[in-house]
Amino acid sequence: MVALVIALALFFDFTNGFHDTANAMATPIATGALKPRTAVTIAAILNLVGAFLSTEVARTISGGLIREDDGIQITPELIFAGLIGAIVWNMITWLLGLPSSSSHALFGGLIGAAIVGLGVGSIDGSVLLSKIVLPALLAPFIAGVVAFLATKLAYALTRRAPQAQNGFKYGQIFTSSLVSLAHGTNDAQKTMGVITLTLIAAGFQSSGSGPAFWVIAICALAIALGTYMGGWRIIKTVGTGITDVTPVQGFSAEASTTAAILASSHLGFALSTTQVASGSVIGSGLGRDARAVRWRVAGRIAIAWLITLPAAALMAALAAVIAHLGPVGITIDALVGVGVILLIFLRSRRTAVTKETVRVPVIVDAHQNPDTQNTGAQNTDTQQTDTAFERQDPAR
Amino acid sequence: MIDWSAFLAVAIASLVAALSLVFLFSLGLRLLPSADAPSRARRIAATTCFVLCGLGVLFGIYLIVPALHQA
Repeated sequence: MVALVIALALFFDFTNGFHDTANAMATPIATGALKPRTAVTIAAILNLVGAFLSTEVARTISGGLIREDDGIQITPELIFAGLIGAIVWNMITWLLGLPSSSSHALFGGLIGAAIVGLGVGSIDGSVLLSKIVLPALLAPFIAGVVAFLATKLAYALTRRAPQAQNGFKYGQIFTSSLVSLAHGTNDAQKTMGVITLTLIAAGFQSSGSGPAFWVIAICALAIALGTYMGGWRIIKTVGTGITDVTPVQGFSAEASTTAAILASSHLGFALSTTQVASGSVIGSGLGRDARAVRWRVAGRIAIAWLITLPAAALMAALAAVIAHLGPVGITIDALVGVGVILLIFLRSRRTAVTKETVRVPVIVDAHQNPDTQNTGAQNTDTQQTDTAFERQDPAR
Repeated sequence: MIDWSAFLAVAIASLVAALSLVFLFSLGLRLLPSADAPSRARRIAATTCFVLCGLGVLFGIYLIVPALHQA
């Protein structure tokens, strides 16, 4: 059972990796600052390094949200159900190309499983509201405002310096790398926390101890591998779906993302990396030209944010109900889980989004070159982007 | 319930950090001498901006890694 949970946790870590590559690398890939393969390699290495740098989040993951003090004990079975809910939701949002928060999926899953297994009383509602729900509403807002102002500032300063455009591409490499590193220090730890929690629940490790080195190592590897796979679908949405990102915007957005994540993790007000990154891109889009933001896409993303936690919780609750049947239930859960993942994977093959389709072909930048906007080549390229995007998203 | 002062601190810190970084980097790019206006002074000023920017990034890395500031 413990081995099964660890395997699932690592798979979740893997999905977390390819789900969140977009946070750091969507804009540099979209502007061509980094080649797609180079970008995901850098992101993977920095995630790997980041995972070893800090274990602070891992130590606090289990504390707080699920009350452990009143003699209530979370079991490996419940963690198992929680992970199934989180993974399935991560796969669904990936298929739809939506940058939803992997952390919310994980917390939602654990909450859903805990409610079924331990009752509603096991969830600390005020912690849920103050640590997850409100930050989720505020994160994109902060990041959006900051990125909006940063983009305005960058354009104001370099309006009469056309040579500056390429410079911003170099800048993007640094800011996006920093986002990757910050992501590694945060997200790999969630899985470490879950595995450690499982080991403690199963009695292999004393309560209150930190993650063992082998746990850190495999979690780091799993998230790096997932990152390297590159979640092209989500990269496409963030990099080219919300708005067509220019190097100036990309740099401003990444700088805002970095600043917001660092400030929040340092000052103890946790914000989701995914939501901060998407909020930044929307803000930088507004900073260039409000009409350039595709609100339909932004709206879909916002809806995904709102339903991530309850949806993952619901699926985990279902899994937990089945898991209550005993070993048979666990087997059914595992089989259904694998089946759903395979189904989503097969479905994804029909509308493959690869590294070849994730770049904004030509940056049409009204602020810099108003006179080159209507050349034939650019029109063709823009149309290609639109078609490619529609293929992935028939509803649009 | 929610720690509004912490939220405000994060919002202000993000704003100041991001705007400083973008300001310095953009200013550096703006000051870079172009082909038609070569200038030694501008080059020095631009380099200063980039160095300050780099220091900001290093400070960010310092903040990410707890081992560096808890020792």
